[in-house]
Amino acid sequence: MTRFIRQLALGATCVALSTGIAGAWSLEEAAKPYKGTQISVIFLDRPGYHAIEKMLPDFEKKTGIKVNYEWVPYESTLEKEVRDFSSNGDLTIALVDLVWIGTFADSDYIVPIDDLKKQFPNIFDPNYDMSDFFPLLLNAFGTWNGVVYGPPFDNYSGLLFYNKKMLKDAGYDKPPETWDDLKAYAAKLTKEGKYGYALQSRRGETQSCDSFMRFIWPWGGSLLDAKFKSNLTSPESQAGLNFRQDLIKYMPPGIVDFDHAEAVNALAQGQVAMITEWSAFYSTLVDPKSSKIVDGLGVAPEPKGPAGRKPALGGFCLAVAKQANDNQKAASWLFIQWATSKETAKEYVEKGGVSGRQSVYKDPELIKKYPFIPPMVESWQQGVPEFRPRFAEWPQLSEIVAEVGTNMMIGNVSVKQGSDEIGKRVEDVLSKAGYYDGKKKLAQ
Amino acid sequence: MTTGKKSYSTGAFWFVAPAMMVLLVVGIIPLLFALWTSFQQFILPKVHLKGAFLGIWPIFDAPFVWLSNYRDLLFDESFRNALGRSFLFLIINLPIQVVLGLTIALLLHRPGHEWLKNVTRIALVIPMATTFAVVGLIGRLLFNGDFGINNYFWNLVFGHKLEWLADPNLAFISISIMDCWQWTPFCALVLYSSLTMVPVEIEEAAKLETDKWWHVLHKVQLPFLLPGLTAILILRTADILKMFDVVYIMTRGGPGAATELISIYIQRIGFRSFEQGTASAEAIVLLVITIILSRIYIRFIYREV
Repeated sequence: MTRFIRQLALGATCVALSTGIAGAWSLEEAAKPYKGTQISVIFLDRPGYHAIEKMLPDFEKKTGIKVNYEWVPYESTLEKEVRDFSSNGDLTIALVDLVWIGTFADSDYIVPIDDLKKQFPNIFDPNYDMSDFFPLLLNAFGTWNGVVYGPPFDNYSGLLFYNKKMLKDAGYDKPPETWDDLKAYAAKLTKEGKYGYALQSRRGETQSCDSFMRFIWPWGGSLLDAKFKSNLTSPESQAGLNFRQDLIKYMPPGIVDFDHAEAVNALAQGQVAMITEWSAFYSTLVDPKSSKIVDGLGVAPEPKGPAGRKPALGGFCLAVAKQANDNQKAASWLFIQWATSKETAKEYVEKGGVSGRQSVYKDPELIKKYPFIPPMVESWQQGVPEFRPRFAEWPQLSEIVAEVGTNMMIGNVSVKQGSDEIGKRVEDVLSKAGYYDGKKKLAQ
Repeated sequence: MTTGKKSYSTGAFWFVAPAMMVLLVVGIIPLLFALWTSFQQFILPKVHLKGAFLGIWPIFDAPFVWLSNYRDLLFDESFRNALGRSFLFLIINLPIQVVLGLTIALLLHRPGHEWLKNVTRIALVIPMATTFAVVGLIGRLLFNGDFGINNYFWNLVFGHKLEWLADPNLAFISISIMDCWQWTPFCALVLYSSLTMVPVEIEEAAKLETDKWWHVLHKVQLPFLLPGLTAILILRTADILKMFDVVYIMTRGGPGAATELISIYIQRIGFRSFEQGTASAEAIVLLVITIILSRIYIRFIYREV
């Protein structure tokens, strides 16, 4: 009898052990072989990274992996990463802006997730659920040529922020639904030293992404056509750019010197009624220290153009760097997986991050607390992954667009002349890169 | 004994060696590497590190194109425009800084008001000691269209505001003003120290001969000013041609290309477009131009007293 019980107990233990191994995956178990490994990543001085920084001790305690991070301003990040990766530096994780994914993938800086899975099957959480990410985000930020490199980590959408009181005083109880509405609103709101709308347009990525491209897509235009020739002179692109030019009279003077800070501040101080800015600026606008319109702030999706709602899209994925050694690769993936997992998503959002997971935004508590969530989720239902082309030549194109785009806005060149010039110079760059003689696949 | 070259003991060599080593590592080797790179089609995301020659000279798999980067520069309109803009900036700002600096130096050189002069001398050091990035940030604040102090006074006097940093011409003027603010004191201090080298008895004798100050300046002080002036011209020319930080922070080369000086342009090519080969070629050309200008200054202006 005792023998029988002993055998039974033994059997039960065996069953328990085997299910323990095959069934419940745990971060602690998976990380055991990589205890003490040091991994390195770049952080930007933005809310999402501060959120992760606050959550890090928990990860380090559970895994024994040490995460080294360096704060770098966005404008120098690409330069720093490219230098590091081209000279076998010490970064083990790449922070990839959506416009860099082509460069990083083509230059072989980052490892596809499937390759990692083959090499380290045990570190992958079976409940991770890639399909929970917004397909647009995963596709735009982390995927290049059909290969997935990393999950979306820090996510943005262009949103319309507006001053409820100013709109109400002008007789509008709801935000503009289309760009034509916005123009009509702006015309009425521009008076007595106040302006209807502000569009951050300073030379740099601000001009090329926030200002120029924002007025191309919703009108049905695009930078390039299917053959990668300039499409800026198409009637649709021209309509959008002319619309932008018309709108300038409702913007504060000196708009070509407005960067994000100036545009957000103009709304926060009650000088302009509406701006289209990244979702991440919500926290600045509701902070009483930096904003006078805390309670009067309205948030809506960006207006629709003739071709629908195609809001600005931006964000970063995290990907494992090829230059890392095997232990670092595994440890890096464990970190990325943890930072973008379902379990940490809610905490991440509550600490100021913007998760790319659909499930977390179904939480009614979060929606109540963060009014920007519904318009943001709506923006992510549709959008153009190639809002800005993501191939390696984009930085060059961005510089051209930024230079000529600001010239266009101040009237140094007409919209048509400017579009021709950008088109010509862009085609020059793409021709040199080998897109027209079939040396390079037309992927953007 | 006095003919031929001087010979030095090996001891002297060891005293000079550390300085030479530092110069070699931080100055000469990077320069040679830039020269090397300028002969290659060196697009940063497309090259890979293949090891290092003797442990110090990195080897990348970039294809050699010899002089074609330089040849392309001849036809590159943006490069020419940026270079032209830098020269315009030089021609406008250098004379202003020298003339203002000389005026300040002559005022400081006049006898009396010792206490005030001491304060002035200290105050003159402040702009020079300010980091470039901070000067740029100060510039952004001063010339801010909304709350900048320049616009505040302009508005008081003329009743309207100017868009300093958003208008192409005004933006150029704004960065010029900041450069003059920062570097006029340098000219003033160098020229002032040259003035103190004029022997007192000669200067006093000259002042008894004439009561016209420009006669004294021209005949007596100028010869002593020339070495300092040459130094100013060489240093300021090199500095203005490679001026970067202040402009980058104030306008980032905009609006349009209105303030895109040559070094902003080179940085853009090298670290935004990552065409390091082209950027290196441009930097080498800029270096050659600077050297030629320095030789010209020495040839035509410098005189031993």
